[in-house]
Amino acid sequence: MNVSIVPALKVLRPAALVAFAAFIGVVVGYWANAAFFPGTSPKQPIEFSHRIHAGDNEVPCMYCHTEARRSISAGVPSVSKCVGCHAEVATERPQIRKLMKYWNNKEPIPWIKVHDLPDFVHFTHKRHVLAGIECQTCHGPVETMDRIHVTSRALDGSSQLDTPWKMGLCLNCHKEHEVENGTDCWTCHK
Amino acid sequence: MPNIGRREFLKLVGAGSIGVGAGFKLRESIKHPQEYLIPHVMAPEDFSTGIATWYNTVCSMCSAGCGISVRTLEGRAKKIEGNPSHPVNQGRLCALGQSGLQVLYNPDRIIGPLLQTGKRGSMSFAQITWEEGLSKVADRLDVLRTANRGNRVCLLSQGVGGQLAQLFELFMDQLGSERLLHYDFDHPHTLYAANQRFFGEERLPYYDLKNTRYLLSFGADYLGSWISPVHHSLGFGYSRQGRPDVRGRFVQIEPRMSLSGAAADEWIAARPGTEGLLALGLAHHIVAAGHYQGRDRDDWTEALRAYTTNQVAEQTGVSAATITRLADTFVHTEPSLAIGGGVAGNHSNGVDTLVAVNALNYLVGNLGKQGGLLFNPEPAGQVSHPRQASFRTMLELAEDARQGNIEVLILNGTNPVFSLPLAAGFREALAKIPVIVSLSSFMDETTALADIILPSHTYLESWGDDFPEPGVGFVTGAVSQPVVSPLYNTRATGDILLGLAQQLGLSDAIPWNSMKECIEDGWRQIYERGDPETREESFASFWRAVLKAGVWGEKSRREFAFTLKKGVINSIGVPAPVFSGSSDEYPFVLHPYVSNTLHDGRAANLPWLQELPDPMTSVVYGSWVELNPVTAGQLGLTEGDLVDIESPHGRIRAPVYVYPAIMPDVVAMPIGQGHSEYGRYAKNRGANPIEILGPQMEQQTGGLASSATRVKILATGRRVELVKTGGKSRDLGRGIVQTTNGGPSSGAKGHSAKLNSIPIVVVTT
Repeated sequence: MNVSIVPALKVLRPAALVAFAAFIGVVVGYWANAAFFPGTSPKQPIEFSHRIHAGDNEVPCMYCHTEARRSISAGVPSVSKCVGCHAEVATERPQIRKLMKYWNNKEPIPWIKVHDLPDFVHFTHKRHVLAGIECQTCHGPVETMDRIHVTSRALDGSSQLDTPWKMGLCLNCHKEHEVENGTDCWTCHK
Repeated sequence: MPNIGRREFLKLVGAGSIGVGAGFKLRESIKHPQEYLIPHVMAPEDFSTGIATWYNTVCSMCSAGCGISVRTLEGRAKKIEGNPSHPVNQGRLCALGQSGLQVLYNPDRIIGPLLQTGKRGSMSFAQITWEEGLSKVADRLDVLRTANRGNRVCLLSQGVGGQLAQLFELFMDQLGSERLLHYDFDHPHTLYAANQRFFGEERLPYYDLKNTRYLLSFGADYLGSWISPVHHSLGFGYSRQGRPDVRGRFVQIEPRMSLSGAAADEWIAARPGTEGLLALGLAHHIVAAGHYQGRDRDDWTEALRAYTTNQVAEQTGVSAATITRLADTFVHTEPSLAIGGGVAGNHSNGVDTLVAVNALNYLVGNLGKQGGLLFNPEPAGQVSHPRQASFRTMLELAEDARQGNIEVLILNGTNPVFSLPLAAGFREALAKIPVIVSLSSFMDETTALADIILPSHTYLESWGDDFPEPGVGFVTGAVSQPVVSPLYNTRATGDILLGLAQQLGLSDAIPWNSMKECIEDGWRQIYERGDPETREESFASFWRAVLKAGVWGEKSRREFAFTLKKGVINSIGVPAPVFSGSSDEYPFVLHPYVSNTLHDGRAANLPWLQELPDPMTSVVYGSWVELNPVTAGQLGLTEGDLVDIESPHGRIRAPVYVYPAIMPDVVAMPIGQGHSEYGRYAKNRGANPIEILGPQMEQQTGGLASSATRVKILATGRRVELVKTGGKSRDLGRGIVQTTNGGPSSGAKGHSAKLNSIPIVVVTT
């Protein structure tokens, strides 16, 4: 008995073509999202520029992020802290006017979080700051960024923009500096 | 390249575009979700993000007055611990105190003033503003006050002390009303009365459990629920293990083994209501055997004539040998201490029983001695006891209400509809009161019947102060400060009263603008009583120091030369207990006990405590009735059988728990469940044994004789599964309890016996 699959293929070909087109579409859509909308540098409610503050004017990081040296979280400055300078400085710029609008309404500014570790990671700023680690080691060259990007490190120690942190990066550094209990699971996952 | 028709082309383009959309969405869905960093508008002074701030304040979950430290983060209370500086609890805290967070964050809190719009009890409440609520109440009060009928206002509060109690006094005085009552179900009226009669002062003494070597506890569950359990637990721990060469011994005398009974070296069950007889039996033996050599020896011999060992043995069911052994050990172990309360005080002869216990301490010289009973100095501020309403007073209040003599009832935190027996008819009496105002934070059974609800802050949000009862042997007090900003549209109880006073134009007599001012005023007097040489420079620095430490105290102990009046000796004697219900029809004595977890029911709305296993039975989330295995066997009942517990005054239903450590003719039930309101966690769960109690009173104080009701047990034929964490209490041949007979090396010949099927080895010596 002769059996041929050719007639069956003939019927299936249009359907296979459609499926193939859809698959190509999925890949393209996925890639387009990843390439053009990485979400690693969200637009903030006020276009605050770290380049102007930390770079051009050399404001120390911990002038605003005061809690970094004594708390687990670095802290975001209160609106009153911004106003402390900007009541006098650059008052006519459109972004500063936005700031004053929040201040006059006594509303907080809903900043979007850029650097975020999963909830099961217990990271504390205090220990790292007190150990003398530069903020830029993890956060990248913040003083050059107008808008903050998620940044991590390449193996050679250079900053990698728009790449989220992975556990291996923590461990590399802990091993390199021979941190006591630095590779113990419970040091971070507790 | 195949030929593609127009149709095929459109199909491919369509599929491709849908694919692009799907791919885009797929990538979007696996992205890290967007989170916000919301800063403060103004940075607060007292906290930093991520750093805990601890505030010292006072626990208000029961009346003991422990000091607590509350951990707050970003302005939210996160954890409650004991305050190490506070002399009552010294850094420790019970489960009830730890659960205070769930009072604060309880989803069933009343979050703003409410007005009953439908029929009373219909639960159709409408939200109103504070101004409306306060003026509605104030108008009503004003009419009564100007008509000189202020006495038709009643303020019924939970037990409160300090400046709030003082404010209540002032407020009611200005209204011209004497009807100011505090009501707590477990207030030890009999203990106060017994001390008044024996020592001549109506105050709780300091029981030095810590330094005693031999403790006889007559019915007082001092580790679980009696007056100041955390402090007593500290003393117990020290007495057992704190001294290298001494191990304190404890004997617990009660019809049902409580937590304290389980921790005791010896548990003795005397017939219900005969604990006082037993104490007098011991006293008789002490005097008769010549152990007491005081000048009033003849008076004692005369007073105790009727309480010979054999007679007492017969009446109490405790053997004569045990009585003499207990008495001899009590005399010969120094220091020793006898305490009484709880179930022993909750009988018709409660005061006489506790006087008999005091007599024991007197006869062996335990008074004013370390390791014995020390006298407390006058507290530095107001305490609740003088205003505490006995059951008799509550009955009078209900009767007054029925007669139409009460027009406004203001309730603060107390829940008499739940914590009074149905026989008191309190719910029906409430119906006769035209206006009921509740200041409760929760919709409890009594608040549900209110017309206007002006909800109070919880204790973690308000200012207050406290002078602990029982004291700790020296003068002490503590200020309770808010640890978080108020969560809802509620006000502090004191501020509500001050608001009313302002509207009534009483600002001359009640000058404070806020409760904080009122408390500072009270503490200014405490500051001024200090020695000007050594005290803080100014009141402001004193106030800051007290807030920081969470407690204040004076070092001096009180020397008290105690002399006993002759009349007291002559009055000693314990009549037979009277029970509600005849023993023929109602064969069992109901023993309702204050729950170690839910207390008197006030904590039933806290899920942490609902799911905390009862320490003796390990049951969670429900009620049960404890039956002796013999009784259960006779009635043909096993664990989980639903039974009706019927007294002459009502009937409730609960599953059986077979409990070996209870007298065969006693059945026990925990208090706390059986709420019909009080939030989602408490509502419609278990049964409330208070409901069916007879209106039997302690003769002298009028306190409710809550252990003096007889019941019968009726099987329903239905079964439920008791939810508990413990497994089987029996070995069941599984070899869990391994035993060995003395062995040849010891040289003793042992023989084995079986007790409740647990094999034990008796080694003859």
